[in-house]
Amino acid sequence: MTDNPLTSSHSAKLLTLSQNIEKIIRGKPQEIKYVVTALLARGHILLEDNPGAGKTVLAKTLALSISEGADGINHATGGGVAFKRIQFTPDLLPMDLIGSYIFDEEKKDFVFKKGPLFTHVLLADEINRASPKVQSALLECMAENQISAGDTTFQLDKFFFTIATQNPIEMEGTYPLPAAQLDRFFMKITFGYVTEEVELDIYNNYLKIGDVKNSVKQVLTYNDVINLQQEAENVYLHQEIVKSIVKLVQGTRHHQDIALGCSTRGGIIFIKCLKAWALVNQRTYVIEDDIRALAQPVLHHRLIFRNREASRVALQQLVDIEVNRLAKLGINSKA
Amino acid sequence: MIQQAIMRDRIMQLLIRWVFVVLPTVVIGYITLRFINFSYTAFTEGIPVQTLYFAAGLLLAYSLYFFRARWIVTFAGLWLAYWIAERIIVKLPGEFDVFYATAKFQLYSALFLFGWLFGFLLVRVKYSYIILFGVLAVTTLVAISNTIDISLTYMLLHLVPVVVYGLYMLFLSPLLTETLEMDLKKSGRLLLRFSLFLILVVLAFVFVERIFKKDLQAVEKELAARGAKENKEGSEKMDGEYDERFGLMEKRPDGKDDGYRLKDTMKINSKMSQSDRLMFCSKLNNYFPDGNPKPLYFVYHYLTKYDPVRETFIRDVAVPFFDEFNADPSELAMYHAKEDSSVIRNSLAKKKRVVVEAEVYLASSTWKHSLLAPASAFYCQTIPVEKDFQKTFISAYKIKSYASELNNAYFVYNPSSNPMLEAYQEERFEELRNVNGYRNVDSTFYSYYTELPSGPLYDSISKLSYTLTKNVTRPVDKVIAVRDHFLQRDEDGKRIFRYTLKPGGVDDPNIPNASMLDNFLFKTHAGYCTYYAGASLLMLRALGIPSRFTTGFATINRSDKNKGWYWFYASQAHAWTQVYFPGYGWLDFDMTIGNEEQQGAPRPDGTPPLPPPQPWLVLNAKAVSAPDLKRKRLDVSFTNIIYFDEAYQLNKSFERPIDASICRILYDKKDTTLSAIQPGDSVIVVSYKDEAKVILPPRRGVPIESQVAAFPVPIIADEIHIKPKEKTKKEDAVTKKNTTKEENGMTWQEILMLAGKITGTMILLIFLLPLFYLIYLTLRSRFTTNPKSKADSVYRSALYQFHMAGVERTNETPLDYARTKIDPVFHAGFEQFMHIYLRLKYGVGTFLPGDTDTISRFAGGFGPAVRKTKGFFTLAMNYFNILLASRYFTQSEKNEQENQLPL
Repeated sequence: MTDNPLTSSHSAKLLTLSQNIEKIIRGKPQEIKYVVTALLARGHILLEDNPGAGKTVLAKTLALSISEGADGINHATGGGVAFKRIQFTPDLLPMDLIGSYIFDEEKKDFVFKKGPLFTHVLLADEINRASPKVQSALLECMAENQISAGDTTFQLDKFFFTIATQNPIEMEGTYPLPAAQLDRFFMKITFGYVTEEVELDIYNNYLKIGDVKNSVKQVLTYNDVINLQQEAENVYLHQEIVKSIVKLVQGTRHHQDIALGCSTRGGIIFIKCLKAWALVNQRTYVIEDDIRALAQPVLHHRLIFRNREASRVALQQLVDIEVNRLAKLGINSKA
Repeated sequence: MIQQAIMRDRIMQLLIRWVFVVLPTVVIGYITLRFINFSYTAFTEGIPVQTLYFAAGLLLAYSLYFFRARWIVTFAGLWLAYWIAERIIVKLPGEFDVFYATAKFQLYSALFLFGWLFGFLLVRVKYSYIILFGVLAVTTLVAISNTIDISLTYMLLHLVPVVVYGLYMLFLSPLLTETLEMDLKKSGRLLLRFSLFLILVVLAFVFVERIFKKDLQAVEKELAARGAKENKEGSEKMDGEYDERFGLMEKRPDGKDDGYRLKDTMKINSKMSQSDRLMFCSKLNNYFPDGNPKPLYFVYHYLTKYDPVRETFIRDVAVPFFDEFNADPSELAMYHAKEDSSVIRNSLAKKKRVVVEAEVYLASSTWKHSLLAPASAFYCQTIPVEKDFQKTFISAYKIKSYASELNNAYFVYNPSSNPMLEAYQEERFEELRNVNGYRNVDSTFYSYYTELPSGPLYDSISKLSYTLTKNVTRPVDKVIAVRDHFLQRDEDGKRIFRYTLKPGGVDDPNIPNASMLDNFLFKTHAGYCTYYAGASLLMLRALGIPSRFTTGFATINRSDKNKGWYWFYASQAHAWTQVYFPGYGWLDFDMTIGNEEQQGAPRPDGTPPLPPPQPWLVLNAKAVSAPDLKRKRLDVSFTNIIYFDEAYQLNKSFERPIDASICRILYDKKDTTLSAIQPGDSVIVVSYKDEAKVILPPRRGVPIESQVAAFPVPIIADEIHIKPKEKTKKEDAVTKKNTTKEENGMTWQEILMLAGKITGTMILLIFLLPLFYLIYLTLRSRFTTNPKSKADSVYRSALYQFHMAGVERTNETPLDYARTKIDPVFHAGFEQFMHIYLRLKYGVGTFLPGDTDTISRFAGGFGPAVRKTKGFFTLAMNYFNILLASRYFTQSEKNEQENQLPL
């Protein structure tokens, strides 16, 4: 393995993907990268922000960039991927997601009618508005990549990417995700408002931006994504970086202001994300900047802090320690 | 609401500053005041009360100025308060001692004002702690230097609080400029950092100590000697009788300074005269033909010149036929001698001349530099004090001096009741009647010794003397007439002149001036020796008889038990007149009359010290190597020897081993061990005449070198005296030229200079540390060949140099730092380098084409880029900013506590 296995086609593809999304989502390159990272890490992402910040649009744009259309399920051919969107509501039932057995007149038998979960890219909108029952049904799919209906288990495609969104404002009839379920999401990112100039740009071009379907081109195929995911796994991870991750994870468990620290699964997810992030940033190795960049979106939602101040500062402190440790290391210090 | 919150916050800040700034300052103020109290007695109340005033001023000023009080207004208010308070105190009714109250008030208002100023400076002036540190350090040093019992440890220990305070403030000051938000954890960390810093300082100190080890040891030795000495003095001082006496003979009579110095002149007053402190003892080899001891007065100084301004006699340099022997026994090496033949020539005595030998044992260290000898000494040799007597006598020397047969203590004294002595006296006067006048005397000499200004004061004295001597012509008769004037009695048979220690109720330690003498001669008729000597001198000079004022010691023969031994107590300090008779030289005349009212109980003589063993060989040698401590051997080389009391200068240098197994080692007259000798030290090796040794007596006609070559090997030594280093000797020589204040070895100024040098070097070293680190990094990056290591060292060097250029990496990753902070400012291509560096660091580590070029381009380019942007001067100054540098090394700690930024 060399330091530069990133073929030009790969990097070009990643670039076009980012550019493609950026056409629609203005002023949010970092967030776009996060979403792509989650995709390449074979994970799922949770977007949290006020309504109207562009969460749904982002998810849609991403899906459209790698699929031919909402229903173009033709992955065997290496074409686009399937994209489904579910609007979560309090009265949604698990079978609305999974699908259900219905009686086939011709076969005189119950056949399984697949629900919207049988897809590649799933946009789960306002996930916290659905009942826990529904939430857990979705999360099972996310974790196990399979769906159980009755006594049958249906295997999902190995490319299954969920973009969930939720509103931070407590509304009537919301069911906040419990910690165990939050843990399943590789990342949780917030959007925030865009800057003045970007907003001006958005208003000036709102027509074009609004027409997502027509302005977004498919730039990646199913196979491309699978290859890139494979590529991300091959990103080189220096032993010192691993050490720092261990220290960071351990640190969250022993920090006096953190009630619940990061789990080992969290650590593994962190590593996966780091690798994917490095790839997204056109690198084949992980550097300390990656830890700095990913600690918040990957780890923060896994921790329970004792107070607001700690929620703001504690993780950052731990990251600072590790970044400084790494910055001071010599070049040859391999464990 | 917001106003209140701000106010509350502000008050919190003030409280924090009280704890962190005001409290330490009060503590250091207390410590400094303690030192001042040790040295000065101006303060009457206890130290806590003083500190209270200081603290009150400090606290008030600090709080006021913290809330942005106007300084003009406050200072004016302060002055007004002071003025009003003073008015009130002055007007206070009766029973108050106004003077006392005012003085006390002023003292404490001064303290208060000091505190106030400190507070003002601390709040308003950015680097005020440097000023405070300076003030405190100087105060402490001054206070310390006044202490008698001083040692290096003492000095350092007392300076430590001030230094710690200075460092503490240095450390705290950057935090004070910002809002200082303190909690328990942070202050703990602060403490930790501060102690780390202290450790650094201690390390630097250890380093410096190693560099200056030799010098320091010299100081230590010197101080040890001094300390012991001064301790001894201190304990004797406890008797509380006459501490002022220590200044008596502090300075050497080398006559290089013609100014009037209080300490040069004999301070003879009641305290001195009543003291029974032993000053010295002497064995004087001067006997009558019948074997009875013939005592002589011991001379210390001559006061020859009349100073019309001060109306008194002072010492002088430009003396015609100067016959004072200029020798400092403490400067002579053991058994070494100094001889001055000019004294013989200048003594101007041809008739009745004898050479008198004497051994003088000094009891007090203040006599170290003085030469006490009967009449005109011309030879001085240092001799050791026998061991059992070293507690009583600190040093000893042998002298030879000139005396006249006519001169002896019995003669110079007033007519005593002893008829035999009066006969002697008459015989002496008869002899001197041969002198008719001063016609053939050198005119310069004559006019010098008879010089007296004119004026009503002197005219009356001169008139009196002419009246007294109108019937006689010969000088000696005139002298006797003057003496008789003091001895005359009134009708009731009572003496007109009285001896009193308190003439006129004023206890003046100085030589009385002309008006006082006039008063003494014509009104009070009461005084002690200096009055009699001074008055007779004025009278004799008025009569044209060359005479001088002599200070020294009256010699009293108390018992016949130890013939030739004389004991000198402080009460024997005396002043008398010497009169010149052509052909006979200077003769003593003592005009002081006895005290009829009071007779002191005679003091018994002590036990005379045993004579020290006679050496057969004294080597003025140099230690060639370090002593062999196991075999007790020492190799020395020498060219100067004293062999059977004869000094030789050898024409070549000899090297001989010394057997030191039965030897005493001394440094500055204090016992030490053989290990104290270092190669290159000058040593005096003494070997006694001893039955057990093989001693070759000197052979006539044989060259000394071949005799030395035949000396037994090894030479068995009985004493080795270590001389202070050559360097200090040289410095001494320099000071000798410039000033009259001299001491053996190092003076206080030198020690202070050394202390200053050491501190300076230490501070310099600390401030140079950042530069050293830069040099280390630069050299490392320059000379690393392995490309990976090179990238690494370039990275480190760059990080450090950018930091020292003032752009500090706070929380960023190095790449962010390069991108957001460095490149926009310096345009050094740091980011480009960082990409390569990070790939090498965290990647698999293969080089791509062009990497090495980029690295070396960056390595060569970032230094100039930094210099260009920041300017050489600013950059250079930054490297002396120890705080900036220390932040580079303590970065992670800082991140831990200071990161308050949201993500």
